[in-house]
Amino acid sequence: MTVMSRAWGRLTLPGKVIFTAIPLLLALGVALALVVGILGGPIVELASQYGAVLRFLVAATIILVITIPTAFLIIFMEMKIIAFMNLRVGPDRVGPWGTLLSVVHGLKVLMKEDFTPSRADPLIFTLAPVVVYGSSVMTLVVLPFAPGLFAQDFNIGLLYFFAMGGLAVVGLLMAGWSSFNKYSLLGGLRSAAQMVSYEIPLTLSVAGLLLLAGTMSVNQLVANQSGWFTNWYVFQQPLGFLIFFIAVTAEANRTPFDLTEADSEIVAGFATEYSGMRFGFFFFAEYVNVFIVSAMTVALFFGGWNAPFPFPALAILLDPGSLGIWLLLGIAIVPLVGTLVLSLPFLLTRSAMPAWQAIVLGFVLFNVAVVGLLGVWAFVSFDWVAGLLWFLAKTYVFVFTFVWMRATLPRVRIDQLMGFAWKWLMPAALLNLFVTAGAILVVGR
Amino acid sequence: MGAWKYLLGTALLAGILLTPALIVMGPAGGSFDDALFVVLAALMLVSGLAVVTMRDIIRCGLAMIVCFLALAGIYGVAGSPLVAAAQVLVYVGAISVLVLFAIMLTQSKRAPSRLVFQTQAGPAAVLAVVIALMVTLTVTGTAWNEVAERMRVGASALAATLFADYVLPFEIVSVLLLMAVVGGVFLAKREERGS
Repeated sequence: MTVMSRAWGRLTLPGKVIFTAIPLLLALGVALALVVGILGGPIVELASQYGAVLRFLVAATIILVITIPTAFLIIFMEMKIIAFMNLRVGPDRVGPWGTLLSVVHGLKVLMKEDFTPSRADPLIFTLAPVVVYGSSVMTLVVLPFAPGLFAQDFNIGLLYFFAMGGLAVVGLLMAGWSSFNKYSLLGGLRSAAQMVSYEIPLTLSVAGLLLLAGTMSVNQLVANQSGWFTNWYVFQQPLGFLIFFIAVTAEANRTPFDLTEADSEIVAGFATEYSGMRFGFFFFAEYVNVFIVSAMTVALFFGGWNAPFPFPALAILLDPGSLGIWLLLGIAIVPLVGTLVLSLPFLLTRSAMPAWQAIVLGFVLFNVAVVGLLGVWAFVSFDWVAGLLWFLAKTYVFVFTFVWMRATLPRVRIDQLMGFAWKWLMPAALLNLFVTAGAILVVGR
Repeated sequence: MGAWKYLLGTALLAGILLTPALIVMGPAGGSFDDALFVVLAALMLVSGLAVVTMRDIIRCGLAMIVCFLALAGIYGVAGSPLVAAAQVLVYVGAISVLVLFAIMLTQSKRAPSRLVFQTQAGPAAVLAVVIALMVTLTVTGTAWNEVAERMRVGASALAATLFADYVLPFEIVSVLLLMAVVGGVFLAKREERGS
């Protein structure tokens, strides 16, 4: 008990709030599910009456919650992949292959002292991480994860994405100013300058794509790229993709453009004075941003949730109802037979192994096979499962690319950074726009 | 300690913002959209007042951003998300950031408490009265039913109007902006060469 109370005493205020909030939320969720399950009818009727509001609330909650595992996963990927590229071992203490280290990082951040410098502006100092994190969460709203699996489909989706992404600049400026530290202020100003500069080629680079597609709804853009992978916009807009990817790297503050908090050179830029969970929010927002920009690249240029080629209808769509009495027999017999069949090789070949061990092993193998088959069945019969898998697979390829770039490329200088944006990227984006417009005039869409 | 002050302030603000919405939803019998509009309007008025009354100039600038965001929300509720997105993109993403930038580069925390803009109370009062008169005249002289119809124009209709009927003014405005940019760069560069 004393251990618990000591650990509790070490938590900072946000830590205490979060540790009480998580069980409360879990209990509330279970209670809600139970109430809906028991009462059934009237609740569903009431829900369908307020369908739009309810859908919005559920979507907002899901979006807020999925940022946590996403960030944890990307932080772990970054630690482990960079370690492998540097010929190090990387995290290997907590959990299998160190997978739980990012959870420990999260707990650590909650227990650290949450420090506000004297003469800082406490209100703005506290709100700045919220603005940065909020702006990146808000952009998640328009991301289409799978057919029918998106929070909101705006007909101005892409514009909304850029507008909300631009809000992060305000948060960085707030952080830099309110820290009451010259270096924080300079860091905030230079990160704002960088992000404002790179917003221009970023927005211009998708203008050609919008001319081709004729819509700004991200959902519609993804739907336009269905069929073979040659329909992906990257093949019609290679230059646009290149500019978009470079600009987005700068927007997400990733190497080689991570000048906003060049860890090894200028302490931490705008975040110098931050500690505890308030720094944690900046950290979190960065990794959520990596996911978001990868997902946006995939949605715009790499077909989003579309498979690279149309699957031949390998959907032997099982219709379990048609089996009749055989279905019941199958449910009763198949696990038994499957377990025995799968344990047979061990029984026959490993004489040192006792029979019960072989049977347990067979049961485990049978379960693995069933889960695999269930996955295949879900992939084939539900559109959104296949879509989600393709989308996440492509997205994590780009997340890996960002990590790879961080392990490989050196950082650029600030004047090189600005010169590159204004002298190369912007003219290239304009050229891309002109060529696309000309091609559309000559060839048609 | 300090935390209680902020909690109290938040509660007060929430009360100011939500009370009119509850009145609209309850006794007045408005819809969800009406309540949303009232909340956003209240937020805009509160933050607008904060802009002109607060002493700390950075907080004024941030309150201005809140004001712009609330206005964008009102555009969204009124049914033109394109204008709302443009509002956020231009006014919050560009203009407010530029204003904050300028303040941060020129001001310091130990600025004189009697700020420059507060010494011109007389002219400002005259200007306020004139603007109030003009707004009153415009509000009373407008047929609001027609305007509400016109607000709900979609993005494509807006584009058609802008690029077909009003293409010449549009292009002239863009050339004017280009001239302003070139002039700004010229002035900034010349000063550097002289010194």
